[in-house]
Amino acid sequence: MPSIPSYFSVQFLAILLPVTVTTYAFLPQKPRRIVLLLASYAFFWAVSGKLLVYLLLSTLSIHHFGLWLADNQNRCDQALEQAQKENRKGIKVLYQRQQRGIIAFAVILHIGVLAVLKYSAFFATNLNVGFNLLKLPATVAIPSFVLPIGISFYTMQALSYVLDVYHRKISADRNLFRLALYMSFFPQIMEGPICRYTETAEQLWSVPPIEYRNLTFGLQRILFGILKKMVVADRLNLLISNVFNSYQDYDGFVIAVAAVCYTIQLYMDFSGTMDVALGIGQIFGVSLTENFQRPFFSKTIPEFWKRWHITLGAWFRDYIFYPISLSKPMKYLSSKARKRLGHNFGALPASAIALFYVWLCNGLWHGAGWHFIFFGMYHFALILSGNIAEPFAANIAHKLHISREHPLYHGFQIVRTAALVCIGEMFFRANGLRTGLAMLKKIFTDFTFNTIVEKTFFSFGADLYDYIIVAIVLAVVFFIELCQEKGVSIRERISTKPVAKRFAVYYALIMAIVIFGAYGDNYVPVDPIYASF
Amino acid sequence: MERLIKILKDIEPEINYANCKDLIDGHHLDSLSIIALVGELEEEFDITIPTVEITPDNFNSPESLWAMVTRLIEEE
Repeated sequence: MPSIPSYFSVQFLAILLPVTVTTYAFLPQKPRRIVLLLASYAFFWAVSGKLLVYLLLSTLSIHHFGLWLADNQNRCDQALEQAQKENRKGIKVLYQRQQRGIIAFAVILHIGVLAVLKYSAFFATNLNVGFNLLKLPATVAIPSFVLPIGISFYTMQALSYVLDVYHRKISADRNLFRLALYMSFFPQIMEGPICRYTETAEQLWSVPPIEYRNLTFGLQRILFGILKKMVVADRLNLLISNVFNSYQDYDGFVIAVAAVCYTIQLYMDFSGTMDVALGIGQIFGVSLTENFQRPFFSKTIPEFWKRWHITLGAWFRDYIFYPISLSKPMKYLSSKARKRLGHNFGALPASAIALFYVWLCNGLWHGAGWHFIFFGMYHFALILSGNIAEPFAANIAHKLHISREHPLYHGFQIVRTAALVCIGEMFFRANGLRTGLAMLKKIFTDFTFNTIVEKTFFSFGADLYDYIIVAIVLAVVFFIELCQEKGVSIRERISTKPVAKRFAVYYALIMAIVIFGAYGDNYVPVDPIYASF
Repeated sequence: MERLIKILKDIEPEINYANCKDLIDGHHLDSLSIIALVGELEEEFDITIPTVEITPDNFNSPESLWAMVTRLIEEE
């Protein structure tokens, strides 16, 4: 079991979750809200202890900033109503300036706390490297902070709330407890999904009674998530740790296998956690936003990012990409570029600048390290080059009479996208940028099948038995995702079957976790990967 | 509306705009097309489209786009 009381720990699955569900089920509507809020803070406390104060302060802060903005907007509206037509523009500008000041204060405060806690050590380390390179006799003390769980996730929820109030997309919430529940709902606090206020706040506050269908569907999804995490992700962990920590001892083939296995581990770990989060949400009648939409069916990298960690991508799109690419200077740039380069390429310069910031932030969001920045820049380069090459690729395909709608071509695109993703994830997991580059070099310069010939391949942390179990579960996941791609819901299908068949499926799931799950004496507990971001 | 359809066809000629109701949700328009579209609409109709207007509700069909454009013209 993981070292922190995550969603896969006994403490959570056997105590906190059942106690919360049972208490919630037997209480009338209003106290249910308190149960959810207390359970959320209890979970946060169990993981991060006193650091709960960061979440509380963040909640109080956005509550205050929301009301401050709303008050200013009301005063602006009243002044505009009473003003002569010729004075209105001046009043608008005056209040807009004030609101910009408030929102800048809010954003700097929240990003500032995140930056100090998460990035100050990275910044200080690089500053010292810079001093050393310039041979300056100065050093900066490297600070050390413990991060509260989910700070990267709840900070984004907090910012989206105040930014939406600022843009008048939503009204400021006067109810501190509703806002507190939106910020802290325990199934999503650790790894998301990063939900918007409009998506979950009212749903959470409505606390409907637990319905049989929601309970069974939610439990099914939780079981499926545990299966992905404990049978696949955790089982692959030893192999991945061994190869990534001592890559010098392995040839290019083993490193490539480890890179693919890490991508599988990351997907099963994160999407499994999302299944648990969304399953718990469903038990309480709350539809949390889906974070994955079968990403490995993607034909291009941009499509992959529309299907993988959807809520993070949507956040960057709405609060970084469009505000930058549609800012006044960028609009001017686009207008000039369109006249010179035409429709296809006219939007490219502004888009490239905005994309650069999106991927820089994306890389940094995942962690303070150059390999994370490289990961972001790698995807930036892939997306930008794809955008530039697209018209040429279409032209070449046309001239060579290659149908881009042919299933074989789609298959090629899917494999190509998956391969590019695996390379990116290798850098993501590597212990530093240099290590990532060295691993990539080994794949291309030291690729042999000696470990297969010498029959040592199954001794690096995963034996044949492990690979067979992982392959079986992956086949099940692939089948389910293929059905979903075709619009068929397996859960809906199962729900129409007779009781005996339905329970056979549930027992099979539970038995698969109990028998094949990676836990016990032979396994090192694996914390959920995204919980550390 | 005809001017709007012409702009859309210039940017993404392969889409059948007559019946399309999921320009955003169906991934027919990508972010690059949206930036180009916003720029063209602003120039053609002399409006400013704030980023908060870039929502699937406003961009999913030519009709919803036209409703947004006419609303912004009135507000200008």
